[in-house]
Amino acid sequence: MNIQKLREQDVRKRCEEALAKAKEYQKELNAVVTFYDIEEQLQNLKHIKEDAPLYGIPVVLKDNVSTKGIRTTASSYMLDNYIPVYDAHIVEKLKQAGAIMIAKASMDELGMGGTNLNAHTGKVRNPWDSDRISGGSSGGSAVLVASDVVALAIGSDTGDSVRKPAAFNGVVGIKPTYGRISRYGMIPYAASLDHVGYFTSEVKDAALALEVLAGRDDRDATSSYEEVPAYSQNIDSDIKGKKIAVLDNVMDEIQDEQVKQNFYELMQKLEKRGAIIEHVTFDDKLMQMLLPVYFIIANAEATSNHSNLDGIRFGLREEGNTLEEIMIHSRTKGFSSNVRKRFIIGSYALYTENQDKIYKKAQQVRRLIVEELKRTLDMYDVVITCAAPGVAPTIKDCENGKLSNQYQVADNHMVLGNFSGYPSMTMPSGYINGLPIGVNMTAKPFDEQMLFNIGVAIEEETGIKNCCAEVKA
Amino acid sequence: MSFEVVIGIEIHCELKTKTKMFSSAPVSFGEKANTCVNEIDLGHPGTLPAVNKHAVELAIKAASALQCEIDPVLRFDRKNYYYSDLPKGYQITQQFHPIGSHGQVSIEVEGIKKQIRIQRIHMEEDTAKQFHNDTGTLIDFNRAGTPLIEIVSEADMRSGKEAAAYVEKLRTILYYLGVSDVKMEEGSMRCDVNISLREKGATTFGVKTEIKNLNSISNVQKAIEAEVKRQSEILLSGGTVEQETRRYDEAQKDTVLMRKKVGSVDYKYFPDPNITPIRVDAKWIQKIQEELPELPDARKQRYMDTLGLSDYDADVLVQNRELSDFYDEVCEYCKEYKLIANWVITELSAALNKQNLKMQDNPCKAEHLGVMINMVKAGEISSKQAKTVFEEIMKGNDPKKVVEEKGMKQMSDATELLSIVSAVLDANPQSIEDFKNGKDRAVGFLVGQVMKASKGQANPAMTNQMIQEELKKR
Repeated sequence: MNIQKLREQDVRKRCEEALAKAKEYQKELNAVVTFYDIEEQLQNLKHIKEDAPLYGIPVVLKDNVSTKGIRTTASSYMLDNYIPVYDAHIVEKLKQAGAIMIAKASMDELGMGGTNLNAHTGKVRNPWDSDRISGGSSGGSAVLVASDVVALAIGSDTGDSVRKPAAFNGVVGIKPTYGRISRYGMIPYAASLDHVGYFTSEVKDAALALEVLAGRDDRDATSSYEEVPAYSQNIDSDIKGKKIAVLDNVMDEIQDEQVKQNFYELMQKLEKRGAIIEHVTFDDKLMQMLLPVYFIIANAEATSNHSNLDGIRFGLREEGNTLEEIMIHSRTKGFSSNVRKRFIIGSYALYTENQDKIYKKAQQVRRLIVEELKRTLDMYDVVITCAAPGVAPTIKDCENGKLSNQYQVADNHMVLGNFSGYPSMTMPSGYINGLPIGVNMTAKPFDEQMLFNIGVAIEEETGIKNCCAEVKA
Repeated sequence: MSFEVVIGIEIHCELKTKTKMFSSAPVSFGEKANTCVNEIDLGHPGTLPAVNKHAVELAIKAASALQCEIDPVLRFDRKNYYYSDLPKGYQITQQFHPIGSHGQVSIEVEGIKKQIRIQRIHMEEDTAKQFHNDTGTLIDFNRAGTPLIEIVSEADMRSGKEAAAYVEKLRTILYYLGVSDVKMEEGSMRCDVNISLREKGATTFGVKTEIKNLNSISNVQKAIEAEVKRQSEILLSGGTVEQETRRYDEAQKDTVLMRKKVGSVDYKYFPDPNITPIRVDAKWIQKIQEELPELPDARKQRYMDTLGLSDYDADVLVQNRELSDFYDEVCEYCKEYKLIANWVITELSAALNKQNLKMQDNPCKAEHLGVMINMVKAGEISSKQAKTVFEEIMKGNDPKKVVEEKGMKQMSDATELLSIVSAVLDANPQSIEDFKNGKDRAVGFLVGQVMKASKGQANPAMTNQMIQEELKKR
């Protein structure tokens, strides 16, 4: 259900129903870490004007969004008992807009992962097929929109952590331009790649939500002064003359004929609407570097970002005879082996003796990759591709490690949006055997409007809008 | 074998800002523990740094005063290490691009001037303060995140005296700039000294030791002298100096080992991704530089060249900015610059001392002192009377009123004085006789009589002259 429709229902009813549904689906989907008691928020609504953009609209937060007085774990045992003393910037914004937070959603621990199998509270399941992954790291948030619990769920996106699960769950997932939404209060993964992103069930809601969430915040030095347009009112699905570049490096790798057919049929429909569809190819050597470069930068930043998790001031504390022992024991017990592995890789890349040949080189390659993308977007309005090479993989295949290196580009290309900071959105484009697949578009910096415009045109062509999974509870 | 001493100094200086380097929590000293902190200072997950513009302004001031080149692009880096006084697990500093570099400062030791080069000045944040006791360690995060500048000298100093002169000079400059309290005893200025010895004429450096936490300028000199003695004894006996961190023990009057440097910690410095490079407006830098206050060297020069003070007097005044500021203020009311210097340096300082007052609490108004000195110069009051008046202006009283109320006004009117002189002469014929017989003592007696008759208000010089003239007429 979209925000417009929700507004037609009684405030208390829609919030209580959302919460009840989330609880009802918990056993099947395991998408929630913490449920809210919404009574106080409902009471506080009397201080909010009824025409506020999200007045009484139930929403979900990824569990890395700091919420004053509400446990915020980032799905890590390290933070299992951590209760923030402050609200993230976006929480303040959501409260001002009248939103009612009903749950904190599961994620891959500290944002590290793409499956949501690595959460302290256990794996999250896909509502379209519970044997399949939700994708991650914002899996819980994606699932709660896809199962029609809420119309808006906050996530975060460091590699493709919103846009990949959006594809696997058949919902809209956007990561706006770096600096568009303040990161203040979002537990980081990698500061230069981290974006606040979110899920909705249709493009217009994504536009509406950005009006609420975007804007300068003095507490985030990377936050932008760029004005926030009235995106939702400005939506114009007339895409005649719009230049759309299909990135062939991704398409060439995809083997599933149904996925390809779905994509090219959509391109034909857009062409019929007057859009200009052309094909571009990036330097393949650079594209092969996407994953290693991402892995080095993200984990180098992560190892430093998470040095505050030492067991001294908050979070898990294991005893020891010395300060060093307390820190080592706490961190060893507090983090999963996957996270510890990433810290070691990141730390290795940052050692003075390695920095030039690993970390700095990765930064240089990152710049070359961004230049490649920029050159294309100087000539085109958006770059478009399949969001993923296929439908959501099964949990079993993921756990067996069967998927690891099958698609070097097609599985990792959305990191282009994080390297560059350019706005990028995934939305559903069709279904294969009842499972959703999606397309991804990336636009020029601060041109989120273009994504919304083309996005609505795509919705008009596919007819996929507010399509939610039915969950057996 | 004779050695050359090689000394380089690192100074950490807390900047005098209202709020912290990267958070809006107040900067404090002596407040209740952990009351001046917010989630940023405690390194809570999700917090981000926002650069304090005022801290940048103060750093630019300091760098400019030390004649550094200013980097127009601000960049911050992370220094990564785990310690309980470092909440984020990294310190934000400026490893790769310090705000200031290639500066210099002049010192003077025993009449010899010398330039000490400044390698770099960078901004960073302070750590929390730890208190170790029997039950464990207590941490006060009030200090965490306080803005600091670190000033790193080249290894240009060659003696404890030069080092002390350098620290004193920096302290004075930073104090004049108003960028820091520079209180070594309270830790708002902290000094680490690197010392090594080498054979005279050698071009390579010897192994250095670092002396940390020196809490006064005199201890800088004492510590260096003790360490030089220690190192030379080792070297002369054929031993080798080991690289280590030491501290100065005042009771032992010697340096003692804190820890050996075993390998070096890899701080894995890298640019802080949370603070994108900030281009500083050139006009803003220029404005800060144009508005720099007069610095001690320039002020001393002005005192000597323009106001005609002695090197010594100029030095004494400049050493104490408040005293010197007060002196300048008095000069606005009175042009007797040397006289003012005497009064300010000697009488004012003594009076404050006696009352146990700091210069900041000086009750004397500059205008009052100026007016009083003018009255002395004009002969309206005697120097002796001035001392009494001064006692009153130290209570904040107006010198004119004091003179009037106490009836102290010196009699300098010739007609008025002549009538008293004539009366005294008339009453003392014997003295006139004595004078004529060549007894000059008689003049002194007569002056005394005039003073008595005028209740001490007669201008002594005028009286003396007038009596001599009148005696000759008789």
